[in-house]
Amino acid sequence: MKTFALLVMILAITGCGGGAGGDSATPTNNSANTVPDSTDADSQPDNNTVQPDNGNSDDGSGSQDSIGVAPIVDVKTPGSIVRKGTTIVIDSVITGDSSTLTYEWTQVSGPPATLVNSDTPSLTVILPDTSSPNQDDLIFALTVTNTEGLSTYTEATIESINAMSELQAAALLHQGTLGPTYTEIQAATGKSEEEWIDEQFALQTTYHMPFLENYPNKEQPSHINRIDAWWKASLSAPDQLRQRVAFALSEIFVVSDANSALRGEPEGMTHYYDMLLKNAFGNFRTLLESVTLSPAMGVYLSHLGNEKADLEKNIRPDENYAREVMQLFTIGLDELNLDGTKKLDNNGNAIPTYTQTEIGGFAKVFTGWTFAYSARWNRPSKNYTFPMQPFAQYHSEQEKHLLNDEIIPAGTGAEASMQLALDNLFLHANVGPFISKQLIQRLVKSNPTPAYVERIATVFNDNGEGVRGDLAAVVKAILLDDEARKYSSVFEHSGKIKEPLLTKLHFWRTLNAASQVNRYYTWNLHTTYGQGPLLSPSVFNFFRPDHKPSELLNENLVAPELQIATDSNMISTTNSHYSDLIWRMAERKNSLNPNTIYLYGETQINLLSNEGLQALLDYFNVVYYAGSMSDTTRNALVDLDSYFINRSAADRVSQLLYMVSLSPDFNYQN
Amino acid sequence: MTTYNDKSRRAFLSLCLKGGASVAALTSLQLHALSNTLNSSSLNDYKALVCIFLHGGSDSLNMLVPTSGQYRVNYEQSRQNLVVTDAISLNTQTQFEGGVGLHPSMSSLTSLFDSGQLAFVGGVGTLIAPTTLTDYQNKSVNLPGHLFSHNDQQATWMHGQEKISLNTGWGARMLERLNQHSAFTSNISLAGSNPWQTGVNTSPYALNRSGVMKINPLSGHQPQVDHIKSIIDRLLLTDTQSPIQDAYANRLGRSISNVQNMNELLEQAPILTTQFSENDLSQQLAAVAKSLSIQAQTSSQRQIFFVSLGGFDTHDEQLNRQPALLSTLATALSEFQSAVNELSLQNNVTTFTMSDFGRTLTSNGDGTDHGWAGNQLLMGGAVNGQDVHGTMLDQKVGGPLDVGGGRLIPQHANEQYFAPIAKWFGLPESDIYDLFPNLRNFDAFNLPLFVS
Repeated sequence: MKTFALLVMILAITGCGGGAGGDSATPTNNSANTVPDSTDADSQPDNNTVQPDNGNSDDGSGSQDSIGVAPIVDVKTPGSIVRKGTTIVIDSVITGDSSTLTYEWTQVSGPPATLVNSDTPSLTVILPDTSSPNQDDLIFALTVTNTEGLSTYTEATIESINAMSELQAAALLHQGTLGPTYTEIQAATGKSEEEWIDEQFALQTTYHMPFLENYPNKEQPSHINRIDAWWKASLSAPDQLRQRVAFALSEIFVVSDANSALRGEPEGMTHYYDMLLKNAFGNFRTLLESVTLSPAMGVYLSHLGNEKADLEKNIRPDENYAREVMQLFTIGLDELNLDGTKKLDNNGNAIPTYTQTEIGGFAKVFTGWTFAYSARWNRPSKNYTFPMQPFAQYHSEQEKHLLNDEIIPAGTGAEASMQLALDNLFLHANVGPFISKQLIQRLVKSNPTPAYVERIATVFNDNGEGVRGDLAAVVKAILLDDEARKYSSVFEHSGKIKEPLLTKLHFWRTLNAASQVNRYYTWNLHTTYGQGPLLSPSVFNFFRPDHKPSELLNENLVAPELQIATDSNMISTTNSHYSDLIWRMAERKNSLNPNTIYLYGETQINLLSNEGLQALLDYFNVVYYAGSMSDTTRNALVDLDSYFINRSAADRVSQLLYMVSLSPDFNYQN
Repeated sequence: MTTYNDKSRRAFLSLCLKGGASVAALTSLQLHALSNTLNSSSLNDYKALVCIFLHGGSDSLNMLVPTSGQYRVNYEQSRQNLVVTDAISLNTQTQFEGGVGLHPSMSSLTSLFDSGQLAFVGGVGTLIAPTTLTDYQNKSVNLPGHLFSHNDQQATWMHGQEKISLNTGWGARMLERLNQHSAFTSNISLAGSNPWQTGVNTSPYALNRSGVMKINPLSGHQPQVDHIKSIIDRLLLTDTQSPIQDAYANRLGRSISNVQNMNELLEQAPILTTQFSENDLSQQLAAVAKSLSIQAQTSSQRQIFFVSLGGFDTHDEQLNRQPALLSTLATALSEFQSAVNELSLQNNVTTFTMSDFGRTLTSNGDGTDHGWAGNQLLMGGAVNGQDVHGTMLDQKVGGPLDVGGGRLIPQHANEQYFAPIAKWFGLPESDIYDLFPNLRNFDAFNLPLFVS
């Protein structure tokens, strides 16, 4: 209806005879009829004789003996951004007399549009609806013919982009933020996916270091202040896509202070997270080098202070980082096809990517490195701010055997060896599929099709401009892929279980969690949720990307996040949601404890009070379900609320939110 | 109760556990009553296995060390700055060249060892077939996949077989073969999900180490609690198109009913006089002891428990870290055995260790790297104690067992270690060969781990 109304209005403005028919065929006929009415046949020759003076050489050369000159035609397309599914008008601009001309508009390329008034000076185009996240390129041709039969052919190109609906925006933001607020969804609505992503790319990075405060009455931060900084930045940062990607990277390039000496280094840990933020949209090679030379990583995987071999003492280089940088950070254990599936040998067995020989080679590479600005090797500076620096005399200058039988010759120093070794890793064919698949799993879905992995790995290998490892291009391709956006097909197993920490963060973001003293001291994240920022129990992260829960063995599906969905974690997570959403809903309190973190449900409470339960459930469907709230859930929430109908709106919202928090359709990001 | 009833109830519960009906729809007591009817096999005794997984790869060749002779010379030459001095000399039933010295930080285990409730298994690791150094170098025998890699070798130990597409743990497979898997109380983890306890029809119940766990929304007053429970049950119905979403719903429903059921049981638990230390492993084992104390009420005739201690990946600071870890392990083991003895379950409960791998004999300066063969502990009244079963390896870098850097080839497959445990647990030998596919490549039952 909306489109039709617009159409009628445009017809009126173009004023080609004022035909206002009931369907698209009628106005065409009407306009055709109106053309002769307003045409003075005598003026036509004048028009043609004028044209050669204007110097149209193309037409001039083809028109001998002043028989006639074809019309001079230009087209005028809409100046502003054009959205899919809207109706636009393309005007012809005729130099000279435009009477007695006939017009014929056609579509040359692009997804089929509906053309209205295609034989009039102004073409009305009803652009096709959204069928992919990419812009549509449509070309329309106009042929203008005069009474002498001379024609001019002109083309107009229209680029039409998406305008995300509210639910489409919500779905994208569920994948690309740490849990979107209603305001963020509204701001994205009407934009195309790519516009939102590009805006996110352009935002200034919100680093966590400025949020790192000293522990009260202490002169330095403690571990809990690092957690506090993570909450503050994650809750408030406008660059949500970067924050989400950095969080994903922190689950691939794992550093943890859950049970290591790093617990006493909150600044070093926060620096590490900021390094991930800095490189989230940079190049993978730079990220890999930053991770490798990070003092926090150096301590965590013990290549900081790693020395060359001392044969007399049976000492050889530490192999820890050498092994994990290959197994977990770059190439994995088995040779992969571009689509992420394993290559098989003639016997049908997987092919290992490396042996002890390569581990020994890389172990030698990572010798001689320690904290920057250390006075001596044995006097490390404990400077966690700058990348590690090498001490030549502790670096192994032996020959180093890398992947693909590449050899670093004897006598090569620490810096050069490190560069060669990281290049060797970076250029290995596994990196694209290995990293792309994991990023897909962190952001979009647990079980991407091999074709999806291949499309992203292809972008990893070459962003279209010959650059390998462009993470911004990779992230954009992941989010714009049809398997993420689901425009053209229905995919089986299309989503993932939300990480429990991110469900908490989502509630905290949407309900403005805050304490009067402005502290977010959450002490037991990993025992409550089975995870926390930089709190993995080991370098293998909270869950493995190939975790197959017993329930899904028959379907042969992985669900990494279910690895931490143990009985005790599930109950403690749901208890913690209960505590957040019911016991600490500020509007249910008579007085507030300054140290306690409360959630503020004002918006939702007002919505319930003013517009009723269904309006609130619609709001939930957008913010928490991205449109996937099932009828089962909606009906259950209605019946839940009927029990609390005589209670305050705050009580009712609290109970409803808690039930949202444990509903399966909320916990499954589809 | 007729046989017919038994069967239909079992079928119904089985359906529930597989997700065909919502377990959450049952009250915990109904579930409990049902689970009582399930253990129909001919077992007439009670046994439990407690697996202690030492995450990271324990340097267990530095836990049991030679004390004299050429073995000691070789050991000291290999280990250099990581040599264990003042090891406690153990009086083993079997005599070993070079003697057997226990790491001094494990002194709290000596009385258990001397009393015959503790044994070690020496020189054990992942193998597909007996392997010599020449075999290894020539690749003339199949080798376990991804040797020296943490999670792969952990999985190989816990699966009791090489990587296959639909893999299951040998703990879970034992329960399923004995038809003891239906009750959730048969399969309990204090350390989250893990491959050892994950089977086709069973996965571990993750017990909170504090035992009873309140469920906030169901702890209020009536009739509100009933109303909320009915809403939760509706939400957790699993009829969607997404098996992953359904898996989540099933998990949550099962967690709620399991926790309620376990809470009821644990409220009946007696207070033990045995005191447990504050360390993480002791606390996990305290919760296991508490569960054992109510085993009669659970109706499970076979139970497997999983606990873990992390931090054994001693790439650095081994001289500080290993003594602390071994001391924690020893303390927790002796406390736990004392609790088991207090419950008079010493002949019914066997505790054993697994770990990713042993570590290199060579040092990387202040630590060790991923190796292969190692030593394990086995504890309980049924254990053939006060001995080392297997081999005290000659810790010689460049020796006939060294594949490089002091990574020693195991002289006994871990499946040879598992087979007697499975036999003690009640599996017939024919089943055990099915359970461990490489076992036929070895002398399956030559390690006399149990008093028979």
